[in-house]
Amino acid sequence: MPLATPVWLLAGTGVATGLIGALLGLGGGVFLVPILTLAFHLPIRTAVAASLISVIATASAAATVNMSRGVVNMRLAMVLEVATTIGGLGGGLTSALLTQRQLFAVFGATLAAMAIVMARRSGRRNIIAVADAGLGTGLLGGRVEEDGRVYVYRLRRSPLALGASFIAGAISGLLGLGGGIIKVPVLNTFCGIPIRVATATSAFMIGVTAASSAFVYFGRGDMDLHLTAAVALGTLPGSLAGARLSERMQARSLKLLMAAVLVAVAARMLWESR
Amino acid sequence: MKDFVALDRAVETVLTAGLAASALLLLAGLVGGSGSALRAGTVILMFTPVARVAVVATGMLARRDWAFGMVSLWVLGVLATSVAVAFHR
Repeated sequence: MPLATPVWLLAGTGVATGLIGALLGLGGGVFLVPILTLAFHLPIRTAVAASLISVIATASAAATVNMSRGVVNMRLAMVLEVATTIGGLGGGLTSALLTQRQLFAVFGATLAAMAIVMARRSGRRNIIAVADAGLGTGLLGGRVEEDGRVYVYRLRRSPLALGASFIAGAISGLLGLGGGIIKVPVLNTFCGIPIRVATATSAFMIGVTAASSAFVYFGRGDMDLHLTAAVALGTLPGSLAGARLSERMQARSLKLLMAAVLVAVAARMLWESR
Repeated sequence: MKDFVALDRAVETVLTAGLAASALLLLAGLVGGSGSALRAGTVILMFTPVARVAVVATGMLARRDWAFGMVSLWVLGVLATSVAVAFHR
């Protein structure tokens, strides 16, 4: 497919969407897919395919940083990846069955739900459910240092964790989003995983999740290689800079403002689905 | 404990190598207008997480952690299905 948009503009879009997505902890696709479809008038599956490749690049880079910090729970990640990859493959295959309008509708509704979750969690607390001393970490728990103290945690409600991971995978495959906005709150609030471990483990998983559907888009011919390369090369530094900045930024008002922006983008996507 | 550190290192190495190789190829493809470099860079990037899962599976099985080794192989199986769907159309 010949691409009229200059490479530098696509790379710049990748940098900007990666930066904002990482700042908010949502991933770059949340803004990348709407911009590529609404501003550059690209087919939504082409935009989703470019977003998936950007997610793989960003997640691979972030995983190495998180692993060196020792907060990734690799066993938990592998178990939850069973659910995210099945969801991702299913989402990738399902996207071919939906029309462009239906995909816009699903994307718009998902963004609106994300905005609500983000607004509700803007003053989030880190819930640390410490494991019973007699029971220990269990197979999927671990130890983490928070505020100078070492906490022992164990996974609770594993069916819920697997269900949330499956939904996150399906959304990733269908819409090109990371899915962390679903997994992280569920793992922290209901499953007893400390927020730093939940965030790092979720980030560790999303590259594999995105790969499970990226192959499907690639094989189907939905991937524009020029577009994908330019956007991915832009998203990578943007996301890494955003992740670094987000450690210092806890501005509740900014998150609420961006939740409002997400609602506006969701409304625009839903408008496209008419 | 030593095993875990070695596995972490191996995973980091695979991710870094895959990312570096694909980034170089994608950049070369964009600058030089080479479609084959773009294709190679994209395919390497897509296979990087697959290689990571293969390394974890190998590491788990090597230290006789059968349960998590099988879980890793299951994930690898789902990814292999995805690859099969993509390249057998």
